[in-house]
Amino acid sequence: MILKTPEKFTRQFGKAESKGYQSPEVWSKVTGKAVYGIDLTLPGMLHGKILRSPFPHARIKQVDTRAAEALPGVRAVLTGAELENRPFGIAVEDELPLAADKVRYIGDEVAAVAAVDLQTAERAIKAIKVEYEELPAVYDPVEALKDEAPLLHDNFPGNIAWQREVERGSLSAAFTEADLVVEERFTVPAIHPAYLEPIACIAVNDPYTGITLHTALQSPDAVREIVARVLKYPLSKVNINGPVMGGGFGGRVYGNLKVYILSALLAIKSGSPVKIQLTREEEFTAGRPMIAAVIKMKMAVRSDGTILGREADIITDNGAYSAQAPWVSKTLSERNDSVYRIPAIKTRVRLAYTNKVPTGQYRAYGNQAANFATESLIDIAAKKLDLDPLELRLKNCVREGDTTVHGLQIGKCGLAECLQAAAKEIGWDRKKAGRGYGLSAAIHANGSLVFDKNFRGASALVRLELDGRITIFTGEQDYGQGTHAAFAQIAARALDVSPVQVTVESKQTKTAPFSTGALAMRQTTVGGKAIQLAAEDLREKIFKAAAELVGEPVAMENEVLRSISGQELELAEVAYHYHSATSGLRMTGEGKFVPAESDYDESGYGNISLTYSFASHAVEAEIDQATGELIIHRLVAVHDSGRIVNHLTARGQVYGGAAQGFGMSCFEGYLFDQGRVANASLADYKIPTALDLPQIDPLFIEIEDPAGPYGSKGLGEIVMVPVLGAVANAAADAAGVHVTDLPLTAEKIYQALAGWECEL
Amino acid sequence: MSYLTVSTLEEALTSLSDSSGKARVVAGATDLFLQDLPHSLVDLSALPEITVVEEKDGLISIGAAVTHTAAASSSLILARARALAEGCSAVGSPQIRNIGTIGGNVINAAPAADAAVALISLGAEAVLIDVNRETRQEAVENLYWTYNRSLVDSSKEILLRLLVKPCLGGEGSAFTRFAVRRALALPMVNAAARVKLENGLVKKVRLVAAPVRPAPTRLIQTEELVINQPVDKDTLKRVEVSAAGEVEVRGSQLRCSARYRQHLVGVLIARVLKIAADRADPGKAGD
Ligand SMILES: Cc1cc2nc3c(=O)[nH]c(=O)nc-3n(C[C@H](O)[C@H](O)[C@H](O)COP(=O)(O)OP(=O)(O)OC[C@H]3O[C@@H](n4cnc5c(N)ncnc54)[C@H](O)[C@@H]3O)c2cc1C
Repeated sequence: MILKTPEKFTRQFGKAESKGYQSPEVWSKVTGKAVYGIDLTLPGMLHGKILRSPFPHARIKQVDTRAAEALPGVRAVLTGAELENRPFGIAVEDELPLAADKVRYIGDEVAAVAAVDLQTAERAIKAIKVEYEELPAVYDPVEALKDEAPLLHDNFPGNIAWQREVERGSLSAAFTEADLVVEERFTVPAIHPAYLEPIACIAVNDPYTGITLHTALQSPDAVREIVARVLKYPLSKVNINGPVMGGGFGGRVYGNLKVYILSALLAIKSGSPVKIQLTREEEFTAGRPMIAAVIKMKMAVRSDGTILGREADIITDNGAYSAQAPWVSKTLSERNDSVYRIPAIKTRVRLAYTNKVPTGQYRAYGNQAANFATESLIDIAAKKLDLDPLELRLKNCVREGDTTVHGLQIGKCGLAECLQAAAKEIGWDRKKAGRGYGLSAAIHANGSLVFDKNFRGASALVRLELDGRITIFTGEQDYGQGTHAAFAQIAARALDVSPVQVTVESKQTKTAPFSTGALAMRQTTVGGKAIQLAAEDLREKIFKAAAELVGEPVAMENEVLRSISGQELELAEVAYHYHSATSGLRMTGEGKFVPAESDYDESGYGNISLTYSFASHAVEAEIDQATGELIIHRLVAVHDSGRIVNHLTARGQVYGGAAQGFGMSCFEGYLFDQGRVANASLADYKIPTALDLPQIDPLFIEIEDPAGPYGSKGLGEIVMVPVLGAVANAAADAAGVHVTDLPLTAEKIYQALAGWECEL
Repeated sequence: MSYLTVSTLEEALTSLSDSSGKARVVAGATDLFLQDLPHSLVDLSALPEITVVEEKDGLISIGAAVTHTAAASSSLILARARALAEGCSAVGSPQIRNIGTIGGNVINAAPAADAAVALISLGAEAVLIDVNRETRQEAVENLYWTYNRSLVDSSKEILLRLLVKPCLGGEGSAFTRFAVRRALALPMVNAAARVKLENGLVKKVRLVAAPVRPAPTRLIQTEELVINQPVDKDTLKRVEVSAAGEVEVRGSQLRCSARYRQHLVGVLIARVLKIAADRADPGKAGD
């Protein structure tokens, strides 16, 4: 470098510091240099805008686009009538790119335009005349399941998008044997991930390369397949090119398919690149929040605290279309069953269509909503039996070697240790007067062996560059969770180099190895394992080439490549040697991590994941009796995520996930008024600010798990799960009464304290 | 659209009268920029005479263009009109407080504007000048027309300063609010009090709560109830019941139900009276 650089920017990370390694991506973000999707423009680019339904449920009688087309600057106008009437979807095929004959929620896509600038596009949208015939609508998922409810989709009778009933063990025996049966009804509203950068996409259509979408996604490969299918393009003619992502939290696994498909269709029709960017209001009204849920749950317990069985009847609110809501409903309805040794389970879950915003996924996939219900119910039982909630949990929690009620095989498991550490750290044995204390426990999978049985693992390429540096090629995306820093560390460890020598490339679906995506907490455990294998493969190739070069065996020690006679070699020399010997190839290690198939059966019984992460959180809180205000003083978050690869980013995951957990516990949630989102802005949809958060203390029980790379397991999703139960239990302990409707606002707590009839 | 940053009051008045109603005064623009913008804007934030806090003729004079941050950290306001410092530090977020002004808070006429609630509890008077160079002085609570509409037409009239009688021996003031979160949230209720004690009994009191009516509202019945009473547990209990009973409030889906808001008015008024009375302890010199 010609410019002299201040010392702080050139700091090298040796091995000792590597657990706090920070990838250079962080610097570009905090200094405002990172280029996000919303920042991108291309020469000749048009701006797309979507016309949305003002009605929750209506038949489209006529769409007149003539005035819009006549506006100067308008380059393309698209309506549902021009498109093939062939539904697509993620879990259920129930969506069209543009509504053809019917709209099903306020915000449903009716037409799209592309124009030379945003103002013209907005004017064109307003110039489109749509004649609607309003239909009766249904907003409440419980109402939607009744016979007389208006039907949203003709081919989904009873407004059921998806349902499941499962019974394992003998529930009737459990309830006969029980000394105590506790029962409650819990409600959880729809939650938006509220990532800072609204979804934006530039679509480019090129006759040679096909469609390129410039948009940041957690699962670009999955979206690429759907877009290719909808557009009827060959897969190799669809490429996704990811700019830096302004937050995802599960919301960008599939992001907003309508935005990608419509920008592509407008690009095809207009012949120019088209950018569609959602406004914040559109994010709330036509984004993909996580499903709301009504959870009726009943638990059978013996007087010594042994859990005998649990029954749940769950209705989740799909909104008008499905996205990933069936999968989220499934995880919500069953993952929590494996936290404790519960011999009998009966669950019915129904996903109901309503005339509201469609739903998708959020960090932890509904496991946190279930945690609120199950962990509250455990404390309710403990109180009735006059048992210590900690003891009750320790008595029942799963342990290493267990096979849970759904067939999950528990390998390394520090759940009991997590519970004990959380209780100790929060001061369970020396509780302060006037304070409430709450505990909760959680399990979460590390990737899925059964989600796509053909893709249980991950693959990666690790390449030695001519200058001796290392490049990782992976399909695993990093949007702030620190995956790429962890990958650099894993490869660095396998190769015995410093992580600063390692760069991670993941942005182009065309060149990156396939990945099922940044989801299901699979990246470190599954993706990282592939990186480790690829780096080890490269290491062997380096040794082989180096030995050829010097004519004797070589080894790598303390970041130096040396032959047995002591001759030192630069990695660049080896790289160049291979490069010239192959007339231009670069030495590349391949890593294929393919876990064994699962015994998972038709009923959904069987092991679903390579291994599981565990956590227990504890909360100390206080309630202002006069107002019902819940003041949370402290959260202790204890995690078993195996050996921690990077403590800096791991703590960051806990802080962020806990903040989101608090948001969901006490602040957030969609509010609707006749199907219209009543809080469709960040001013009204209240996520907590830094001032609203308590002290958060992360602790890691570092039990090495051989399943993951260097003993590590996933952390990114489970961080949010136990917050809900711990907050609810601390609030109930302080208030003396359980509020079972999220979020736990001061008003609801006060109503419970004062014994008011619920008005909300 | 034109935007004029004036350096003298004369210049401001001239440009307002030249634009004959099409120009409006702007200070921090935190409210104005969210509304339909007028043809032209006259920015007052550089006028020295309306950006200072000073003690003059026994009164605290607070320039209309004093920011919330400046007011909240003014030693004079902290010592002698504490309710205002507390009200200003409750506004929005640091960014909003750094540019939003007290004058804008009053003239924007939101029913529960934090600085305005504090000012009215303190008995503040507004000094205004219009395009005809006529000045007038008016109690802040008399500047409201209806919800979010001031009687002051900022295309013709400029709020220059707010005058507050300092809280001296035996007097104290306080402000509090209750909101969904601790920053960037409009309050479910805010409340402020100014009280004068003599021999442990209330001699003078102003109790203000919002949002109750278009303007921050004095709770006259509750004020009467506490006159000549000690501010003790028993009085505070009665204050709570009286204050809640005295107001009729609206509920909203986004913030809270009417019943809860009414309850909060009682709780907050009692709390704020207690804090103000503690500060009025004659052993201490004012706030
Ligand atoms: C994100 C956000 C959060 C907020 N949170 C709060 C809150 O918690 N509590 C709260 O009380 N307010 C809040 N506000 C509102 C706002 O910040 C305050 O009301 C602020 O004090 C307005 O002052 P300003 O200088 O920005 O006024 P401006 O926007 O400049 O003006 C507002 C109005 O007053 C008129 N005006 C301004 N100065 C004068 C003058 N000297 N003479 C005559 N007319 C004048 C203008 O013409 C305009 O009509 C918030 C605003 C935002 C954007």
